Amino acid sequence: MNEEPYRWLEAVENRREYVREQLKGGSPTFGVKLPDGILLVAIGSGNSKVFELFDRHALAALGHPADIEKIRQAAIDAAHMEAFTRAPEDVSLRRLVGFGLSPQLKTNFEQIFSAPFLIEMLLAELHNDPANDLLVRLHFDGSFEFATTPVTVVGAHPEPEKAAQTWLNAQLAGKTDREQIIDTLLQAWWVMRENKSFTAPPSEEERRNGWREATKDRVLEIGWLDRKLKRPARFVWLSGDKFGTK
Amino acid sequence: MTEQIAGDFLSLLASRQLPVLSAERAFTAHNASPNAPVQTQATTVFAFHYKDGVLMGGDRRATAGNIIVTDKVDKVIDIDATSILAIAGVPATAFEMARVMQTSFEYYRRSQLQNLSLPAKVRALARLLRENLPMTMQGVGVVVPLFAGLDTQTNPPQPLIFFYDPLGAQFQAVGYAASGSGSGSIRSILSYQEKYGSPKPSEMNLQQAVQFTLRLLMTASEFDAATGGINPETNTYATIKILDADGVRTISAEEQSGFLKAK
Repeated sequence: MNEEPYRWLEAVENRREYVREQLKGGSPTFGVKLPDGILLVAIGSGNSKVFELFDRHALAALGHPADIEKIRQAAIDAAHMEAFTRAPEDVSLRRLVGFGLSPQLKTNFEQIFSAPFLIEMLLAELHNDPANDLLVRLHFDGSFEFATTPVTVVGAHPEPEKAAQTWLNAQLAGKTDREQIIDTLLQAWWVMRENKSFTAPPSEEERRNGWREATKDRVLEIGWLDRKLKRPARFVWLSGDKFGTK
Repeated sequence: MTEQIAGDFLSLLASRQLPVLSAERAFTAHNASPNAPVQTQATTVFAFHYKDGVLMGGDRRATAGNIIVTDKVDKVIDIDATSILAIAGVPATAFEMARVMQTSFEYYRRSQLQNLSLPAKVRALARLLRENLPMTMQGVGVVVPLFAGLDTQTNPPQPLIFFYDPLGAQFQAVGYAASGSGSGSIRSILSYQEKYGSPKPSEMNLQQAVQFTLRLLMTASEFDAATGGINPETNTYATIKILDADGVRTISAEEQSGFLKAK
């Protein structure tokens, strides 16, 4: 098969379809750049979708738990190795993604006789100046984009992801209240989960009741990279209690 | 004359016919090989239990022989959100130990999604000291640190103090611990205050504990040239950190100045 370009292309395309099919039921995750920090939100089972990577770095992902774990460990290893051999200030998302994670994911995706990573993810890097904050959307095939808008969505499929991102960026423009922002993100989560449209979305009340009902037995994972914290490790967990989830 | 206690580090040196590291000489360059460079060292660091947790303080002077290298060294270092290290001895080795601990504790917490236990943290420092034994024996890398960490197995979490010998033996301090060339006088005062003082260190509130700390350092600097003490006129204060159930907090120079002036 390797000697025949057409069959190789077909195999890669089949692989792409297979990954998207496997990710279909994945629960979307969200990242928002704010003046005081970066917010990462997901609905999971606790320590399952949002993770601290390093002092100013965090990860939010959807996909197979084993694959999330592999990527998370690789990112943590690389970040700590860099910090120890150079300095914590030298750990950068550009290097971590561009020279570490992305090439590995691409190689793995194109090795058509090995199992692909079933993962879609978002990585965040906090800076002292909010203008320098980074959100990077990294895909299962190793391709990545640096976010140019405050809100970035991680979905299983590109179309609903893009629609949710556009809707959220419009809804959250200029807003800084974290509770309000989390509520809106969860409304978008419910709309995506129910495969409803963002062009004519259900009413706000329906969306809010929807996510509250859907998250009853699940854990709201809220990670916050706090710009105001004085210690090196800026990642903190925010409680989802006030939102009525665990 | 150094007291010999069977099985301790000093007895080991004596049995090998090696120069004995006395409490005073351990923090001077007298034990070093004649070819060894002059070391930057000497210190007074200590920790004691006060009413709300543990306070760890240290002077900020580094010396090399009779030269004062700087009066701006931080010898009390945050290792992570729930542990602090106070270093006495050779900074080159001690700072590297702190860096190894910072990286490995945080790496464990992030990768395993749980904090490293306090016994494991205490042993990690013991292992680093043991691995440093060749340098200690050569007299060019002796480190005798203090460590404070939060025991999360108790409810509420309890801050504990540990001290070490240069070989890596670890001991839990009941009320206080001190290390460095100026620690002799500090230990005497702490012992006196604990037995006869009012309030005892363990009964002091934060303001009293910080005041007591600054006075301890001023006293130590009167008897030990290698201890910097504090100087309010030049805004030179100590490094003071507190550890309580909420974690580590640094007492800034401004706060220390305020506490010192308070009645």
